[in-house]
Amino acid sequence: MFLGFVTAGGVVLLVLIFLILAVLIAQSEPAFRAFGLEFLVGTRWDVTRQVYGVIPFVAGTLITSGIALLLGLPLALGAAIFLTTQAPVAFRGPLGTVIDLLAAIPSVVYGFWGLLVLAPFMRTTADPALQRYLGWTGAFGGTATGTGVLTAGVVLAIMVIPTISAISRETLAAVPASQREAALSLGATSWETTRVASLPYARAGIFGATVLGLGRALGETMAVTMTIGNHDAVPTSLFSQGQSIASLIANELVNNTGPLQYSAIIEAGLILLMISLLVNVGARLLLWRVTGSVGSEAPR
Amino acid sequence: MSSTGATSPSSETIERKRSRAPLYAVVAIVVVIVIVVAGFYAGWFKSASSASSGNCAPPTGVTIIGAGSTLVYPLMFQWETVFGGGTTVNYASVGSSAGITDISAKTVDFGASDAPLNPAQRATAAGVLTIPESAGGVVPIYNLPGVGTLNFNGTVLADIYLGTISYWNSPALAALNPDASLPDQPIQVVYRSDGSGTTFIWTSYLSLEDATFASQIGKGTQVDWPVGSGEPKNAGVAGYVQETPYTIGYVDLNYALNGGIQFGRVENPQGNFILASVNNTASALRDANPTLPAGNGDWYNVSVLNAPGLYDYPITSLTYILVYQDLSGAYGSSFSLNQAKALVDFLYWMVTTGQTYSAELYYVPLPPSVVANSEASIGSITFNGATVPNSCGSSV
Repeated sequence: MFLGFVTAGGVVLLVLIFLILAVLIAQSEPAFRAFGLEFLVGTRWDVTRQVYGVIPFVAGTLITSGIALLLGLPLALGAAIFLTTQAPVAFRGPLGTVIDLLAAIPSVVYGFWGLLVLAPFMRTTADPALQRYLGWTGAFGGTATGTGVLTAGVVLAIMVIPTISAISRETLAAVPASQREAALSLGATSWETTRVASLPYARAGIFGATVLGLGRALGETMAVTMTIGNHDAVPTSLFSQGQSIASLIANELVNNTGPLQYSAIIEAGLILLMISLLVNVGARLLLWRVTGSVGSEAPR
Repeated sequence: MSSTGATSPSSETIERKRSRAPLYAVVAIVVVIVIVVAGFYAGWFKSASSASSGNCAPPTGVTIIGAGSTLVYPLMFQWETVFGGGTTVNYASVGSSAGITDISAKTVDFGASDAPLNPAQRATAAGVLTIPESAGGVVPIYNLPGVGTLNFNGTVLADIYLGTISYWNSPALAALNPDASLPDQPIQVVYRSDGSGTTFIWTSYLSLEDATFASQIGKGTQVDWPVGSGEPKNAGVAGYVQETPYTIGYVDLNYALNGGIQFGRVENPQGNFILASVNNTASALRDANPTLPAGNGDWYNVSVLNAPGLYDYPITSLTYILVYQDLSGAYGSSFSLNQAKALVDFLYWMVTTGQTYSAELYYVPLPPSVVANSEASIGSITFNGATVPNSCGSSV
């Protein structure tokens, strides 16, 4: 009885994934037939002329998610280390709950905040400063309009913090006290203790948390749609308006102008699934290489 | 479980039960109130006589479903509410492109679109009638702190949306506005991110005015904009423009007037700069006097842009209902004669009595010549091979 139930649960989920894949492949067939591999390298998305290429959206997705990790990971990790080792014990629980609460805020609220608060701040304060001090990198060219891939990336960074921080906290809390005490007794500073005792022990968990956060950023729809600017072109700077695959689906799937556009959007969705899959598989392989030599549980 | 449980309840238990009685009463009262209030909103207590559908007598107990244009939604909402007599109309404002998709898929009884069917869509939705049911204009909105009402013309708007005019103080714009102090700031272009009838009207006008725009971008419900950022729906464009300095966007006239949004004048072919209003859009529609095809004909190139009147607003458009001519043929046995009658009554009422609700919502009532065309199309709708009669006492 029990065995049958849990087996059914596992099998149903597996079947569900394959059904999703099957439907995506079947419905993207017209677009694949029309454009073939051109679709994967095409940089134009022109509804009037019925020419579709997915590069603008792949670029938008990867750039925004990259910014999210770049900004979000250090903050999330910092918060996790602070809450497990440095914060006064009485504060650890409540503060952790507050960070977890960030995950409970609906993404439309993040989007609204991004559009009404963050975008004006970026336009008037942050973007001109970036242009002035980091303009030489070439990544901050063009006109800062408030919305764009950078703004969407910053919103995403805040959204991935609770995911990364919560799981990192769990793994850091699982580091045996004896490990840290051993390091401290040898005269290590707080930073050294964290570096030699806590982080190596918890790195598998932190890595997993980062991959989960990245997954959230890749697929986030509402907040990105509201802040990225929804322009169907490859971003030329971090201030450019762009479009991620998820925001493309949100903007154009329901309002498609014909079967070919519909099919092209579905194919873009299939590619998003592939990217997520690649990220997961790649992360797992990397994890093996990193932890394989020392064992996945604890450094000896 | 235990043998002591079989004894009679102690006095304490009875006491507790008794004290719960008021609680039950309160819960019961609350439930009754909730049901009554819900019922009130659901229309359970509405008498049939309260409905006012003019002189129409549509069948009772029938629901007809429509979907599409957001431009026409405020007016359609008013029509839904006023049209009664036991027929319920449910209209979903999902956008013109989605309306066309829905009627093609036969998931709705009528679609609504500001853009007529293009050749490919006509092939997919074979046997669909195009029936004008209202009209409106599209206006340029912008956000320039401290600058009043600006003058635009077609070529300047086209160049702004092409990106060739990229600063507010460009000579072309300054020439049209000699008195305005235009800022030395880049223009931020805003357009609709969803497939939109408003975009169709806007790009049709810009294509008509500017050959470069016509060849590079063309007209459509969604086009490949070279510059700018996309926002969803009229509300998204208007909200973003009002929030962000140095932006320019376009929204429906009724939306701008209802929301009190400042918009610019547009030069008409007679050389006058016109600030759009219901009146000069209505006169444009009358003066354009378009030759309308039959309901089942090709409407893709029907245009009421650039009307010839001296003070006509140039960016005007009809908006359309899409409905199958042969209802039984399209929907099969799941569609009843009563549904057909209700649908035809609603359509007929919409283009006649319904037009009187236009002005208060800043829509343009259809001129008589257009109404005649719509009536003829509605009169050609059939069910099981016979014309569906309408109960509105018309001569059709």
